[in-house]
Amino acid sequence: MQLDKLLRVAKWEVTKNAGGVDKRTILVMALSLVAMGAVAAIAVSGGTGAGMDNGIYRIGVDESSPYYGVAADDPTFDIREPDPAAIERRQQELLYRGTQLQSVPQTAKERAALTELRDSTARYNDRTLARDDNQTAAFPVSVTLVYEQQSGSSQLDPRGGDSSDGSGSSDGGSGTSDSSDSSAGGSGDGSDTDTAGGSGDGGTAGGSGANLGAIGARLTGDVQGGTPSDISPPFPFESLVLAFLYIVPMNFVIQAYGSSMLSERLNRRGELLLVTPASRGDIIGGKTLPYLAGAVGVAALITAALRFGNIAPAGSYVAVLAVVPLVVLFLSATFCGAMFARSFKELTFVTVTITVTLTSYAFVPAIFTDVTPIALISPLTLVVLDLTGQPVGLSSFVFSTAPPLLTGLVLFGLGAGLYREEDMFTQRPIPLKVLDALAGGINSRRSALKMSIVLLPLVIVAELAAIAFLFVLDSVSLNVFGTNQSLGIVLVLGVIVVIEELAKSLHVYAGYEHARYERTLRSALGIGALSGLGFFIGEKGLLIARLSDLESLPIGEAALQGATLPAGLPLWVAGLLFLLPLALHTVTAAISSVGASRGRRAYAAALTVAIVVHFAYNFTVVSTLV
Amino acid sequence: MIDARDIRKEYGGFVAVQGSSFSVDRGEVFGIIGPNGAGKTTTLKMLAGLLEPTSGTAEIAGLDTETAEMRQQLGFLPEESPLYEEMTPISYLKFFADLYDVPPDVAEERMHDTLDELELEHRDRKLGDMSKGMKRKVAIARSLINDPDVLIYDEPASGLDPLTTNYVIEFTEQLAKEGKTIVFSAHNLFHVESICDRVVIMNEGEIVARGDLDELQAEYGHTRYHVYTTVDVPDGVQENGSYKRVVESMDAVEKTREQAEANGGDVVDIRTEESSLEEVFLNVAEAGTRGTRYVEEDAE
Repeated sequence: MQLDKLLRVAKWEVTKNAGGVDKRTILVMALSLVAMGAVAAIAVSGGTGAGMDNGIYRIGVDESSPYYGVAADDPTFDIREPDPAAIERRQQELLYRGTQLQSVPQTAKERAALTELRDSTARYNDRTLARDDNQTAAFPVSVTLVYEQQSGSSQLDPRGGDSSDGSGSSDGGSGTSDSSDSSAGGSGDGSDTDTAGGSGDGGTAGGSGANLGAIGARLTGDVQGGTPSDISPPFPFESLVLAFLYIVPMNFVIQAYGSSMLSERLNRRGELLLVTPASRGDIIGGKTLPYLAGAVGVAALITAALRFGNIAPAGSYVAVLAVVPLVVLFLSATFCGAMFARSFKELTFVTVTITVTLTSYAFVPAIFTDVTPIALISPLTLVVLDLTGQPVGLSSFVFSTAPPLLTGLVLFGLGAGLYREEDMFTQRPIPLKVLDALAGGINSRRSALKMSIVLLPLVIVAELAAIAFLFVLDSVSLNVFGTNQSLGIVLVLGVIVVIEELAKSLHVYAGYEHARYERTLRSALGIGALSGLGFFIGEKGLLIARLSDLESLPIGEAALQGATLPAGLPLWVAGLLFLLPLALHTVTAAISSVGASRGRRAYAAALTVAIVVHFAYNFTVVSTLV
Repeated sequence: MIDARDIRKEYGGFVAVQGSSFSVDRGEVFGIIGPNGAGKTTTLKMLAGLLEPTSGTAEIAGLDTETAEMRQQLGFLPEESPLYEEMTPISYLKFFADLYDVPPDVAEERMHDTLDELELEHRDRKLGDMSKGMKRKVAIARSLINDPDVLIYDEPASGLDPLTTNYVIEFTEQLAKEGKTIVFSAHNLFHVESICDRVVIMNEGEIVARGDLDELQAEYGHTRYHVYTTVDVPDGVQENGSYKRVVESMDAVEKTREQAEANGGDVVDIRTEESSLEEVFLNVAEAGTRGTRYVEEDAE
């Protein structure tokens, strides 16, 4: 790859597309983005929005009434002179003289106004009491409320949850530090919170409430006082908005990128680039660079706007760097989609699928930044942590960013395999194109080993996503073969087995379909064994999971049981457990390979058998160890 | 200058080109003709480095066709060359000049000279707004922006009106006179006949005949003899005060002479007429169904 050629292609990609979009369209897009950013910024900053409910309730009350101050403090109310006739004319909803309500609410609006006044009164009283010099008299009962990062199994887990019983956090005012086990994943410091606030700002859940205004405070449960009924778990509103801010621009970028890449294929426009001295890498890199730079630039702008607009308390290059792997993943998936799609119609379907899938992967875990270590699966979690002023460790950074970055590079590699004359302009269905892409990396039998290793980042990302989406089912028990496993674990095991068996065998099938391998039993067994060996070697890459607290969750432990061994085992047992996965992967890959060598239906049948064998193995191990 | 050795291309089980070998000398204009699906375009794309031969090798100026160095010396014009329609001819040519490392001042001069020669106006108009003929001229200019030694043109006049077609063919002839080595394919055999030094005829992925025009005519064509007599002879047609009989062998000429003399007349003129390339092509195609014959050289 030649940097100068790559940069030239990039320059002309910008020039060419600048001529393809008219200024009005750019203006409308820019305004839409600004408007969206402004709304999000208002939400993040805790503003009350456009004040659409200001003055919607008209209350007749004079200054002598104690309710005057309540209504004056609440912009929802419009204070009027007390006038019974106005009530009759429906020009006032409420009428107070002293402390007495003079009118009986009849309409829905009047009833809503009364409810709002009562809520407002409660808040007014809380604020008044909070200012009282004698706090003991004002609040006879004090409750220390600490929101801690979830660790170990869910407390709703009916299977006992030994790992979580040390992290109980709201059991009264005695403080919780002594009950927090050191293995509970950062929960111990939550006990340092001050008693009155209960905002949890000493714990990992802390910063959120402090940075939000009225809406945010309510949503995040940062209640300053009131009755026990006011206490509710925090909703990760701030994380949601921040993650949203970063993920939306990426979806715009991939639309433009996808159509640019596809247009090179339609009508053979890209053919002439292929006969220039620029290599495939130069062309793909050059055409991708502007979009990569654009997306990262937007992320940098958002970070700067949040930081220097005093909307977010922190924010640094860490947030921008964390976005890079995600951008690479989005672009690479789109690139593959553009190489597979046969038309813009098909590309639309592909990009929507990519958008939904990757947005879910990146966005959903990030919402729970302050709730569960599973959130670290998404690089956006690092962004949220950085913007809310929480430290981001190197191990967390690597754990969050390495899988999507490597997956992105693998996807670029697969797509680049099709970026040549004979594949680029053919109109083959997407599944066949996928096989073409896989077959592009196969030259000899040893390619089976290489491909299994190369595809591993995809496997890791898919498995992490499965954990993220299924961990909520961890608390649901399922009686399978007399065991009492959680539904989440069973489903995760199932999904993981399917992903791994496909990763080990699909490239083998592609090799057979493209006549790269000899269709003999001996050859099939050898290729399968090599594929299994490759996967086993690559699987050790899952040790990256140790960088996170993922194993502190039963579902994470179940998912990663192939990568790590329990401590304290005798050496021979540890050795056996280390080698058993090798045997498993080799056997199941060989089964699939034999099927693949005999055609599509035989492959499907053999793959099913391999999946069943693999699941049985995994389930047995998990039932024994977890 | 160009050396193709047993180049073969398979797509799955389909053989598009079956082990073709040929060479093209520097400054030569080499034609590839054949019916649709004969493998002409696949062969040209293998020469241009766009397609990797399943087996065999192709070299241009001693360089493998897949190297960047070779591409630097090559100008390729595919049968259909869709352009970036949002660009103008100038920006389009500058883009390619950039990719070929042509210095900006050289590129500027070269592209304006070429566009002048091609008589292309409206150079600031978007390519999407141009006619097919104008676009083809831009595509030709693009193929020359790096001043290549070798030009591979696949149906350069395909789909153009007769006026533009003639213009393009004349321009290609001019390039040949300037010393460019040109490999050229066309459906219009008249064009091939007019500018090619040597020709290969392909059918079903195979070279079924090769040679210069004389050799091909000698092997696949017919020499017709127009025998003019002073008296009527069998199958004779009156023409300009004499009688003309068309025969295809010297024996028949002699027999006609005898018939004329028997009738008291004589032969006054004999003219020869060679087969056109089109006739040669048709004969080869017909022969191809009965078996392949080679004319000039054995396939290496």
